[in-house]
Amino acid sequence: MPSPHPYEALQSTKLSALRARLSLPQRFPLQTLARTLIHPSADPDPAFNNASLSVLGANLLGYYTAEHLLCNYPRLPMEVVFAAQNAYVGPRALAIIASEWGIEAAAEPGGEVEPGLLQFKRLRPGEGIPAALKKQVPWKWNVTQTHRIVATDEFGSPNAPPSPHSLASVPVPMEEAAQSFVRALVGSLHLHLGAPLVKRFFKSHFLSRHLDLSEMFDFRTPTRDLSRLCAREGFEAPVARLISETGRLSRHPVFVVGIYSGKDKLGEGAGSSLEEARFRAAAAALKAWYLYKPLDVTVPSSTEGELDTTKWKPNMVDCGEVIV
Amino acid sequence: MSTCKSAARISTAVRPSSLLPRIQTRHESTTRRHKKLLTVQQAPSYTPTRPEPTLIFNPPSSAPSAYHTPLKFLPQNDKRRALYASFLSTSTQRAHRTATSPVAAPGTPLSASSFLPPTPSAHLPPPVRQPYEKKYHLTDVDIKEIQRLRAEDPDRWTRVRLAEKFGCSQFFVGMVAKNGVKAEKVAREHDRARGRWGEMRREARHERERRKELWGRDA
Repeated sequence: MPSPHPYEALQSTKLSALRARLSLPQRFPLQTLARTLIHPSADPDPAFNNASLSVLGANLLGYYTAEHLLCNYPRLPMEVVFAAQNAYVGPRALAIIASEWGIEAAAEPGGEVEPGLLQFKRLRPGEGIPAALKKQVPWKWNVTQTHRIVATDEFGSPNAPPSPHSLASVPVPMEEAAQSFVRALVGSLHLHLGAPLVKRFFKSHFLSRHLDLSEMFDFRTPTRDLSRLCAREGFEAPVARLISETGRLSRHPVFVVGIYSGKDKLGEGAGSSLEEARFRAAAAALKAWYLYKPLDVTVPSSTEGELDTTKWKPNMVDCGEVIV
Repeated sequence: MSTCKSAARISTAVRPSSLLPRIQTRHESTTRRHKKLLTVQQAPSYTPTRPEPTLIFNPPSSAPSAYHTPLKFLPQNDKRRALYASFLSTSTQRAHRTATSPVAAPGTPLSASSFLPPTPSAHLPPPVRQPYEKKYHLTDVDIKEIQRLRAEDPDRWTRVRLAEKFGCSQFFVGMVAKNGVKAEKVAREHDRARGRWGEMRREARHERERRKELWGRDA
């Protein structure tokens, strides 16, 4: 038997403890929880491993994160959306979440192993990465932004990730197994407990993690981008103005520069040279544009299964980031 | 050396008898400078005027949050536009109504109010660089001329000279009359100059480039 019998899940103290720790209701069966812990590398039988559940869970996680980001920050550049998706529900983040939940891995999968342990075939040190993990489908010569949005995963990778079903009996790293467990758990929660509870689970375990979007930007030519933005939106051309300064002739001068469009201040930055302060102020102004947050947001999933659609308010759709 | 000198001075000192009485004087260099001048008067905004507990709002100066959207960047149908406008009008009225205390008069360090937003005024700070209007005055004939001169003698007609002659920017000259051979030559010269740098200068330049990359990352 490659994986423990479902009957043994009822006797497992680890599984009961995990269910209680995650505050899951009693009607969520322990047998399903045990199944989410079995990676296809441990048990190739799709009826006993978590491959199908993790496909469903990955789609749900991607959907809820994407709608949260796109509705709350409609002007975010696509690169930042990809990076934020990766930070919220990327493989690394999911592996960290699994370890925070106290998931431990079995040294070797098998039928006699305690069902509360994560089971997968380990990648031995020195072995190369197996071909299934390196598979690149769909594969193109020119990887465009559109290709990254529509053809691959939600993190904007140039290639699609390997399908969980293709990893049967293939040795995998720990991170891959841990992320498949978290995804499978979300998928099984959706099947057993329904969407509202999954949304609450997602909010308390994934969205509650602190992520400062304002630190994910990397501007190379903010002054040029900002003047392009002002021309596009019909504002007056931005002008850098010196708000205050100290120690101009000293070793550590500080200049505070504001970027003004007409009489409105768009951004403010401080630096040890006039150029640096101007650069930072332009970057701050661009961030202020991109991080705009509408006041009343209704995400599309909030109206799922509801007959009353009067609460729905259409979300803002921005015309896109600045292209120079 | 110095000790010898002072010792000699002490030994041979014959003080001229002065008619002035010997009175001990205290200069600013002693107690006054160290103790009294350093006790700064408390800011009036911190001094409670009423015996009952009061609320003091005086936030420290810090960089504005990136999540605050300026009025100009708000969409037309956003509710915050009306809120900002009403707040601006009330704060202006309040600023005009409240009398400034003499300690916080303009020209003193306390003149800048700690309330947000600051008192609106028609005066904008001075620009860092003088703003200019783009002229768009060069015709096709001028551009042909620029290209001809640049191709004819790139050493004499550099980008700077052409920009001065035609009243445009160097960037524009580089755009319309690109000279690959000259650019390669200049790049080679720069490379040669960089090869002569010592270790300290090379590292310093490298660090400067790295710091400059961090400007756009707000780090």
